[in-house]
Amino acid sequence: MAMGYAELCCFSNFTFLTGASHPQELAERAAELGYRALAITDACSVAGIPRAWAALKDSPVKLITGSWFALEDAPPSAATPEFVLLARTRKGYGQLCQLITTGRRRAEKGQYQLFAQDLETHELGDCLCLWQPPSPVSADADQALACGQWLQRLFEHRLRIAATRTLEAGEDQQLARVRWLADDLRCPVVATGDVHMHSRERQPLQDVLTALRHHRTLETAGHCLFQNGERYLRPIPVLRRLFPEPWLRETLAIAEDCTFEPGSLRYEYPPDLVPENETPAAFLQRLTREGERRRYPDGTPMKVQALIRKELGLISEMRYEHYFLTIQDIVAFARSRGILCQGRGSAANSAVCYCLGITEVNPANVELLFERFISKDRDEPPDIDVDFEHQRREEVIQYIYQRYGRERAALAATVIRYRPRSAIRDVGKALGFDAALVEQLLDGIDWRDRATNWRQQILDKGLTRNPKVADQFFTLVNTLLGFPRHLSQHVGGFVISAGPLAELVPVENAAMEGRTVIQWDKDDLESLGLMKVDVLALGMLTAIRKALALVSEEKGEPFRIQDIPQEDPATYAMLQRGDSIGVFQVESRAQINMLPRLRPETYYDLVIEVAIVRPGPIQGDMVHPYLRRKHGLEPVDYPNDAVRQVLERTLGVPIFQEQVIKLAMVAAGFSAGEADQLRRAMAAWKSHGDLTPFRDKLIKGMRERGHSEDFAERLYKQICGFGGYGFPESHAASFALLVYVSAWLKRHHAAAFYCALLNSQPMGFYSSSQLVQDAKRHQVTVLPPDVNYSEQDHTLEGPDNHLRLGLRLIQGLSAQGAERIHQHRPTRGYRSAAEVRQLAGLDQRDMEKLAGANAMPGFTHNRHQAYWQLLEHEEPAELFAQNTGIRETGDDYEAEPCDYLPEPTEGQNILADYSSQGLTLQRHPLALLREQGHLKHCTQAEQLKGLKPGLPVQVAGLVTGRQRPGSASGVTFVTLEDETGNVNVVVWLETARRQRKPLLTARLLHVKGVLEREGDIVHVMAGKLTNLSHLINSLPVSSRDFH
Amino acid sequence: MLWLYLHFPHLLLDHVRRSQPIENALVIVEGTGQHVLQACPLAQDLGIQPGMRLKTALGLAPDLHILQADQQQQAQLLEEQARWLYRYVAHITLAQPDGLWAEVSSLQRLYGGLTAIWQTVEQALAEHQLTAWAALGHTPLAARLLARAGKGECSADKGHIQRALSQLPLAAAEFDKTACTRLNRLGLETLGDVFALPQKELARRLSPELLATIQKIQGTRADPRAPWQPPHRFRQRADFIQEVEHTQGLLFALQRILAELEDDLCWRQQDTDTLLLVLQHRHQEPTRLRLRTTGPEHRAETFMKLIRLKLDQQPLSAPVVSLVLVVRRFISREAPGGQDLLGETQDLNEAWHTLISRLQARLGDQALKQLSPQADHRPEFAWSAGEVKRSKGSGPVNPQSLPRRPLWLLPGPCPLTDTPVAWFSGPERISGGWWDGQRVHRDYYIAQLPSGQLAWVFRDTQNAWFVHGWFG
Repeated sequence: MAMGYAELCCFSNFTFLTGASHPQELAERAAELGYRALAITDACSVAGIPRAWAALKDSPVKLITGSWFALEDAPPSAATPEFVLLARTRKGYGQLCQLITTGRRRAEKGQYQLFAQDLETHELGDCLCLWQPPSPVSADADQALACGQWLQRLFEHRLRIAATRTLEAGEDQQLARVRWLADDLRCPVVATGDVHMHSRERQPLQDVLTALRHHRTLETAGHCLFQNGERYLRPIPVLRRLFPEPWLRETLAIAEDCTFEPGSLRYEYPPDLVPENETPAAFLQRLTREGERRRYPDGTPMKVQALIRKELGLISEMRYEHYFLTIQDIVAFARSRGILCQGRGSAANSAVCYCLGITEVNPANVELLFERFISKDRDEPPDIDVDFEHQRREEVIQYIYQRYGRERAALAATVIRYRPRSAIRDVGKALGFDAALVEQLLDGIDWRDRATNWRQQILDKGLTRNPKVADQFFTLVNTLLGFPRHLSQHVGGFVISAGPLAELVPVENAAMEGRTVIQWDKDDLESLGLMKVDVLALGMLTAIRKALALVSEEKGEPFRIQDIPQEDPATYAMLQRGDSIGVFQVESRAQINMLPRLRPETYYDLVIEVAIVRPGPIQGDMVHPYLRRKHGLEPVDYPNDAVRQVLERTLGVPIFQEQVIKLAMVAAGFSAGEADQLRRAMAAWKSHGDLTPFRDKLIKGMRERGHSEDFAERLYKQICGFGGYGFPESHAASFALLVYVSAWLKRHHAAAFYCALLNSQPMGFYSSSQLVQDAKRHQVTVLPPDVNYSEQDHTLEGPDNHLRLGLRLIQGLSAQGAERIHQHRPTRGYRSAAEVRQLAGLDQRDMEKLAGANAMPGFTHNRHQAYWQLLEHEEPAELFAQNTGIRETGDDYEAEPCDYLPEPTEGQNILADYSSQGLTLQRHPLALLREQGHLKHCTQAEQLKGLKPGLPVQVAGLVTGRQRPGSASGVTFVTLEDETGNVNVVVWLETARRQRKPLLTARLLHVKGVLEREGDIVHVMAGKLTNLSHLINSLPVSSRDFH
Repeated sequence: MLWLYLHFPHLLLDHVRRSQPIENALVIVEGTGQHVLQACPLAQDLGIQPGMRLKTALGLAPDLHILQADQQQQAQLLEEQARWLYRYVAHITLAQPDGLWAEVSSLQRLYGGLTAIWQTVEQALAEHQLTAWAALGHTPLAARLLARAGKGECSADKGHIQRALSQLPLAAAEFDKTACTRLNRLGLETLGDVFALPQKELARRLSPELLATIQKIQGTRADPRAPWQPPHRFRQRADFIQEVEHTQGLLFALQRILAELEDDLCWRQQDTDTLLLVLQHRHQEPTRLRLRTTGPEHRAETFMKLIRLKLDQQPLSAPVVSLVLVVRRFISREAPGGQDLLGETQDLNEAWHTLISRLQARLGDQALKQLSPQADHRPEFAWSAGEVKRSKGSGPVNPQSLPRRPLWLLPGPCPLTDTPVAWFSGPERISGGWWDGQRVHRDYYIAQLPSGQLAWVFRDTQNAWFVHGWFG
């Protein structure tokens, strides 16, 4: 009879910088070798379990859940114990998770700390313990025995002694000790492999990781490295030669004894939300009906009624009521606090969610592909992301913690993985490459160029002279890519459980104070079928809420999103002009260019607008066909009715991710299961997925069904483009709503809109300076910050809604100080700097900031004099102040001006404004330079619009952005700002190469070029670039650069 | 008093450039490699500025040579400059990391006027292939500020200097950051604007420290500077950004250093008979060469011949990244040869040291080695015979945890010819060293050969058997 084997001690790469194989690699290899079972036993962690589980789900190899521990201290006169704990049952698994949680919560992020005391106090009755006795070098026989006795007292007959044979020096002595201890303790011995990698080929990588862990290079790592590469999953015949049969048999007995399966973890929904004598289904139905009455006071349309019935049926069948109730509860909380929120995702844009108030997308207006609402075929939870105002999301998070307690709610983890840069850096470090040279190599690599010859570059840069090492380097970096580095917190994915969360999955500390994360990320949760709620932050919601509040104040009655008139032609007309700075999602340069081409006229056009300027449709070359069809330049046709159903709303051109997947089914004959695989592969493509297996099937299937090869190829390219950036219609629909709302506000309540945007900074694409300039171009009067008029925030002032900038704009002014200036302001206003200082209780620092910002114009001659005055007070004359208080007499508020100080020039004022507030309300610096004659022959941004294409032009402006988008081969886009607006400059690769210096370093750039025009969109194709930065020497303008 | 200040804007760069001719632009980056600290003129022509991000710099010049800043080295370089200047000037003060003062008023008569001094210094700088910005001032600070701003002129006219100072922008005044921001906010732009403020107000509204600095610049407050003392040794270093593989590549740099040594010895009126030349390699222990002349000597030419001879006998063991030439032993020209003036034996009083020195003297430096364990799993790399260490003390390896190894390890494995009669232990598998191209993968055993010898044998991946050592 062939003897089987179960590996019971195995580290995956979730024991960071130790394990050299992915859990799935270990799982697959164990299956190949015919192991009976495999335990993944990462150091104080079960983070690798879900991935191993996914790989072993349908295999005869049993997955055992365990974890390895080294304690911080030793029991009295004993050696420090090192051991593996294996979960025998679900209960044992819970005990294991508790112990891990204790160890992790106590230590800093990424570490753990467990003491002998913890094993005494934690219940571990359903866990097995495999003890790895200390070697004769590290502990003497008495200490080893004492340690074994201690463990035996705790674990009784559930203790085993682990024996390992890695053929290293001193193994004979270790085996002798194992036998002696087994004898003395009457404890069975079990064979283990102390596995660190799935195959021997990983030894170099394991060495690299070890060296990194010890902060050494391979050359200096010495004895930190293992002596050989035997810690891999070895074939059973090899093991039979190494271990006595009883030790091997023991592995099988233990595997038999461990019955816990991760797949048996079932999510237990928190029952808190459902009233006692009501079923979840009935409760959800009741809430939905109440919502229905609110949403459709004149009666629910038939179509919607049918939809609600269908959806509730599905929800009930899949038993997802709790999920919808949980989200409803969070949204209801947000609403009760006046926090604006909106759900998105396939399940979010449903009729039920509309009634529950989770989304504002009215199902009566949009028809979505509801197959993805909830899929019956796939046993996986529905997916709803909820966006909240970014400045108030924390309140929602605190509510969740408060409602369910820290024991039952925690954030999902995000596994931070090795990316090319970090992998190159770390492997370079281990190989002892010069750090500066590695940086140089990193900067020299064109990341988009997949054909980069690394090997040659490594040799060229002199990182090594040894071509073999260069090859090794390449292999190591490639293998290390995608390895987990550490766990970080997910942006907002909450896991909420019925019982203590720590019995479901271990909880550890996140980097942020007071935050905890579980050891699994969202993919793990998905593969185990556990539910999470995404609580995300969105700046635009903050801005919209603030704008609505300002409009309400102006109107004297509450004004809500629902009160905004639908399909307003003036709003669409504005968007069609590309006038969209500040508007949600469509304010980027690419979107501004697309708006006049797409010319949105309806809400659904906005849904498309949001989704079309994305890698998917662009790489699939679907943009032009769509535009041609929309404007009637090309007939809209469909090969058959099935395709028509999928593509009708987008005029026969696939735009959304759902359509592409659906198309794979109706046009290429994919089964539902295959289509779902495709969807998953697309989602994973960015990190490690491979789409090529689908390519042939897709193209063949489409050819067979009479589609052109060209169309099939484009569809495949689009699929690749979606990879990692998939943009589904269900998200676009939610976003388009906010596009419309923000555009409407900009069109009809410009002052309120800009005021709210400025108060929500930082967010969006543009700086405060750019927003203020845009506001001025939209006839909003903007007033400077002033201690006698401003509040902390920006406000609207007077009957004409002038935008008064708030004190928050003054960089470095303390928030409390700004608040007190407003609070303690006398009704007659402040009359001197001394009074501001005294009444508002400001310190010197705040006073200097006020003077620097020229925020006391009412009683100071100019900013220089203001500053001079307050410097005098640096040593407060305490006694004097106590005796007399403020001198309330007559006219001596105006201090004597100092004759030695110059009057500020306009240039000085502009500079000072920029450095204290990041913007100026005076003339634009370019206007000044133009007046001084520095910019002869230059055309202003505004004037460009009236010029004929093909004309040679000269422009100049502050560089506010440099961008090299991945989709445009080697082109750099530069945005220049002058006093009238922005100029878009296109720099071709060749031009850029020849003029690197001005292109990369100029803050003020002069461009000679040729005007190009496409509809209303004007570009300047750059010829000669000149750096004029010396003209604006100390102007602190920063450019947003994307290389 | 009249002070001459020399500001070295890119000392490290000059140093590297004169060690080896380089075509490409060159920059020094700070420790983390993110920002440029110094840029050579060529790099500056390409638009690279100190303070720029390395990423941007590489965008401007993809072939840029990059060097890490090294404070200690920069400090040594500055001392080197003080050393030669000391031949002309008695009162020198260092301004780490990149400048120095020389008090020159007393020299005017000696050299026949200011112009002569100025020219002497400029000529010396040119000979040393160094860039320095010089300026004169009646106070140390005045000279320094003018030099660093590049506004120095060969004139001791007070009015002239005062005017130049007044025109300096505030940023060049080296006030602390707060003071500078404040003065800026008051609309003041030049040092002259600050001079114009009433001193009382200045102290009251800005700070007494600021007033003190102003007074030091203007000379109304004392600003004593302690004179620098030259150390009693000669030490010069050359760094190569392209590794030097042949002896020839070293001579270029050595020529300059030896010329400086000759100058130095002449000026000291001393000779030497011992040079220490240390060649540093990227991955190996440095090569240390001790060169002894037959008698007291000071001529660069003789030293050069000696070094050539030594390097011919002993080719480079690895490419050289930098070299250091040190002379500690100075012999007065009048003194009889061989007498130890500076007491080289002072620190060799321990018996251990005496023994080693005697053995070395008798057998030659190369003949004496010290054995020590190395942390490496591969037997052939698990020990080293290095230079004898003067200080005792254990290395990084804990001898307790060392595995069982034969005392007699063969210089290389020999094929096993006899079939062993008995096996005692094994296999012990050793696999490693893939990173330096000397990978081993072997199973070791202890076996008794028919001759009765106890051998350490191994089998390699090709199933071939070898003897690697003998047990006693």
